[in-house]
Amino acid sequence: MMQSLTPDVEVRLSVGQCVRTLTTSNEKEEVTKTLHTLTSYLDDGPQSTITSAQRAEFSRAHYTRTLQFLISNINADWLQLLTVAQCTELWDGLFLRGPPDQTLLVLMDGISSMSSPSAGLDRLVSILERFLQSGRLTVLLWTRCQGKGLSDSPQLRETLLGRLVALPDLTANQLHHHNKTIFLPQQYYPLLARDMLTVLERTCQALRDRKDCSLTFVAQALGKACVQGHSGLVFGVLAPRLSFCTRSDMVWQRVCWKLLENVPERWLESVLTGMVQAVNRPDALSRIMGNLVLKNKKAQFVITHKLLLLQYKYETRVLSILLGYLAQDRERRPLLIQVLRSLCQAWANPSAVRHTPLEQQLYVSRALLLCVGLLSDAELQDLRSELLQCMLGGMQSHLDSSVVRVRRMGMVVGECLSSRMDVNGAKLKFEYEHDEETKELLSLMTPLSEEETEPLDDRLDLSQDVKGQTVPSQAVPSQAASVAQKSGADPDSELDSDDELTPYDMSADQEMSQAAPPRYLRDCLEAVLSSEDPVRVDLSLRAIEGLVRKNTSTAREVSVELSKVLLHMEDRYNTVGFLSLRQAAMVALTVTDSVPVTEYLTTEFYSMNYSIRQRLDILEVLIMSAQELSQPITDKGGPSKAIQRVTIDTPLYPGDDPIHWRQVVERRIQSKTKRLSKGVTHPPAKPTPNRYAPVAGHFFFPLLRNYDRPQVTFDLLGSDHLVLGRLIHTLGLLMHLSVNAPVATQMGRALLDFVWAVRYHVDQMVRRGVLFAVCSVFLSMPSQSLLVELSDQLFETRAWLAGMTRRMWLKRAQSRCSCSCSVCVNLR
Amino acid sequence: MARPAPAPLYTLRGAGSPLNALHFGCCEGDPPLLFSGSGQGSVHVWNLTTRRAEKVLEGHSGASVTWLNTLHSRDTLISQGRDMRVCLWDLAEGRGDVTDALWTGSVGFCRCSLLETGPGRWLLAHAGEAMEEVKIIELPSKSPVCALIPQAKLGMVMCIKLWQPDSSPGPLLLAGYEDGSLALWDVSQRSVLSRAAAHPEPVMCLDFDPAGQRGISGSSEKSLASWMLDGQHRLQLQEPVALVNPGISQLCIRGDRKIVASAGWDHRVRVFGWKKLRPLAVLQHHTDIVLSLAFSDHQDPRNRMLAAGSKDQRISLWSIYNQGSSDTG
Repeated sequence: MMQSLTPDVEVRLSVGQCVRTLTTSNEKEEVTKTLHTLTSYLDDGPQSTITSAQRAEFSRAHYTRTLQFLISNINADWLQLLTVAQCTELWDGLFLRGPPDQTLLVLMDGISSMSSPSAGLDRLVSILERFLQSGRLTVLLWTRCQGKGLSDSPQLRETLLGRLVALPDLTANQLHHHNKTIFLPQQYYPLLARDMLTVLERTCQALRDRKDCSLTFVAQALGKACVQGHSGLVFGVLAPRLSFCTRSDMVWQRVCWKLLENVPERWLESVLTGMVQAVNRPDALSRIMGNLVLKNKKAQFVITHKLLLLQYKYETRVLSILLGYLAQDRERRPLLIQVLRSLCQAWANPSAVRHTPLEQQLYVSRALLLCVGLLSDAELQDLRSELLQCMLGGMQSHLDSSVVRVRRMGMVVGECLSSRMDVNGAKLKFEYEHDEETKELLSLMTPLSEEETEPLDDRLDLSQDVKGQTVPSQAVPSQAASVAQKSGADPDSELDSDDELTPYDMSADQEMSQAAPPRYLRDCLEAVLSSEDPVRVDLSLRAIEGLVRKNTSTAREVSVELSKVLLHMEDRYNTVGFLSLRQAAMVALTVTDSVPVTEYLTTEFYSMNYSIRQRLDILEVLIMSAQELSQPITDKGGPSKAIQRVTIDTPLYPGDDPIHWRQVVERRIQSKTKRLSKGVTHPPAKPTPNRYAPVAGHFFFPLLRNYDRPQVTFDLLGSDHLVLGRLIHTLGLLMHLSVNAPVATQMGRALLDFVWAVRYHVDQMVRRGVLFAVCSVFLSMPSQSLLVELSDQLFETRAWLAGMTRRMWLKRAQSRCSCSCSVCVNLR
Repeated sequence: MARPAPAPLYTLRGAGSPLNALHFGCCEGDPPLLFSGSGQGSVHVWNLTTRRAEKVLEGHSGASVTWLNTLHSRDTLISQGRDMRVCLWDLAEGRGDVTDALWTGSVGFCRCSLLETGPGRWLLAHAGEAMEEVKIIELPSKSPVCALIPQAKLGMVMCIKLWQPDSSPGPLLLAGYEDGSLALWDVSQRSVLSRAAAHPEPVMCLDFDPAGQRGISGSSEKSLASWMLDGQHRLQLQEPVALVNPGISQLCIRGDRKIVASAGWDHRVRVFGWKKLRPLAVLQHHTDIVLSLAFSDHQDPRNRMLAAGSKDQRISLWSIYNQGSSDTG
């Protein structure tokens, strides 16, 4: 009669019997026997009487329920009857030997539903730990690969994926501080990745044995883990191994391609970004990814557009891998050219130059240079006209910028492009200072060296402990070597401390020039004007400042003429420090003879046929002279004065001790003296006349005269942003320096009128200048006249400032603006 | 961070002509004195406490004084002038008279060299009448000891240094010649022990450190030559020391053998560590060629100053590397 029953009924009856027994019985023998019966459904022991059909039926229909039953009775009395060994063997065994997907679901449900600190929870956690450690995840993934359980519902699949990928989150939520290390993301995701690798390995084996496998589930798990932000950990394990395995094995390559193809589209992006960051060479990426970019629209978008043009956080290495990948295969070359076109457009776009962050521009420049470096000469020939177009437009927009880094970037990229395009023609060459950034950009033109081989990590073992052990053993000899080096250097350095004498500063020890410096200002003027002798010009230029300050009366006679000569002077002989010398001379002239020289300079500022450099020089000279004039007159004695003072003060043979004995005594007295109250210790500053105040107007007003009168070579309100920005800065500074001067009120009024017209200028440098100017107006004008004179403009300015603050807030540059706002608030 | 370049302690003005010779007289008694010989033949005696010239001695009939020294005490001064005479002065009790004079016959610029051989007895080496000749006489008897004339043609003798080594019975003499070579003479044998071509140009000055058996010499080039004597009294040239500007008029090793100073034609005094000739300081103050140098012989090491005399008619005094602890910092 038993034989006539179908297996499912039979199993149902048997399991039902077991459950009933366990619920009611308290006898040890009986419980043990029942558990044995249940276990026997899971694996076929030698004396097993269970048929495979029965086993399948149990796994399909009853396993989950049995486990749920066990968990719900985790605190039952019969469990206490068993010994620890029996418990581990029978109770835990039921969890660890059955179908792992069901176990995982039941365990995770159990863990999340248990109250937090309890013995039952601890038990489940330890089972889960053993579940992970004994490689049940591999079994789980592998069963899914083999096509079993394909019949299950999408919901179940989703839940399983969710539990699998979010295991660290779920356990952390439930266990808080008592979490196990294996559940931490740093441990769990590499474990998951290693399990995936094992499964991929088995897949390869199965394919060789001509069996079908499905990688859908593994791909989904990979995608889900990546999209949850663990791509770094996962690919840290996957990428090196895949890169190694795919090197010679076509089957591995096919498996990798299939894996990536099977990643659902919504998760593909995070998988790809994780991958390109983890591989170390373009050919590795090419082997792992295959021609995915050609088959999958999403992948193509991510690789050719999003990573290059929309995001800019990746390091240069990633860029070169990415572009190298595109360049590796003949079928992908068109994509590279397409990328080059879009990069060109992005780089040359004037609006992008003005409005995108500098880091992004740098990123695009890097990508562009890398891309150009990868193109062959024939391809370049085809693209030449487009590239030229891009280069010229882009150069213009970059060089127009007021930001130094942008300009420099434009120059470097322009140089590189031109040198790459014209194989034998002329090249662009700019003069700029080389820094880290430009060097890096220039280095991108030389392609990655091919011989740089991958590390031959054959035994990229699935256990990391071995590596951890080898590291210290390697470190020991190197430490020993460094110790040896040190001990080797030590005696030498002791010997080397030649004398115990420390050298003085010897930087002033320069070569002496043969010719004598000119002694008269007129000689200097003549030399600078007409001499062809570099030494004489050099000496004269150096002498001018001193001579001007020494003989003010002579300087007054030739001030304007000399200023004119200096302003037009060119660095014909490559004099050391030419610019600063010329500037110092002009400042000295302006300070000595303010009115005529400022009149000359301010007139010249607006006249024709000057270069931008010269106009900026004029502004700088005006600023520095105003600064010098506004400072109190101090002794500007050379070393001779200092010596005289020393000569007077020091007694004979004072030793080398610079502290005078009087000072020592004074200090001792001070330290022994007790003071009940401290009064003013420093004498108040001595009042000195402000030399700037009477001439401030001569510096200021002429500069405001002609700004709206465009000329052929100079259009202040048009394209000459740079000069306009500097002009406003200069005016602001002149305003700032004229604090307390009687003319400050008129100056402030005029300045505010002027900057009002350009407060919404397109160039940020001009806008910054306006802010600065407004600040200095408010700070320098006498407060009583502020309200009287500017009452109508104050409210508008305040509204404008508030608007600026709000916008700047977004750009994280509010400090400058908020300072002006605080100024404004102080006014109230 | 290097310390800023040092400034002079004070300067002495009023000599009225270039200062070719300097000599300190601080050894005994107060106040410390500095003797200076000028280009117009006068010897100034500077009191370093008041920083005034105490006395001006005229004895070389307007010809430039090239060398100064004192015999047993600072009461007896010995001076060499370009009037071809060496004069002995009695300065005791405020006197200032020439007590004795000696005709050398040398028309060159070679400074004499003095060596004390016993209490009250000295040997004086000076350039002789013939261009390449060095004569040695005994003082105070003025009796000639020998005349050293090299066999090879070395040109005019430019500078000499006489000293008594521990190893040999007689004194040794180092002489620099116009062709840039150095010769080491054994005075008692009247023979050249060793020769070395130290410079391509005439040797302008030299100084020797008997204790370390090392010496240094300068010329009109952009480097200093350093050399040493090995056990067999042979001159061994060592690594030259490069200078920024050419031309050296005097070299002086300080008594404690720690530093050496050079008087440069580039208006600067350079200080080197003597052990390794490492540049230590550049003393920049004068506005013309520095002609002479002297280190003080004061008992207190902290008061051992450096004096530099220049063509700009000034003497600058420097306190440098003379306080042990504060300089090591």
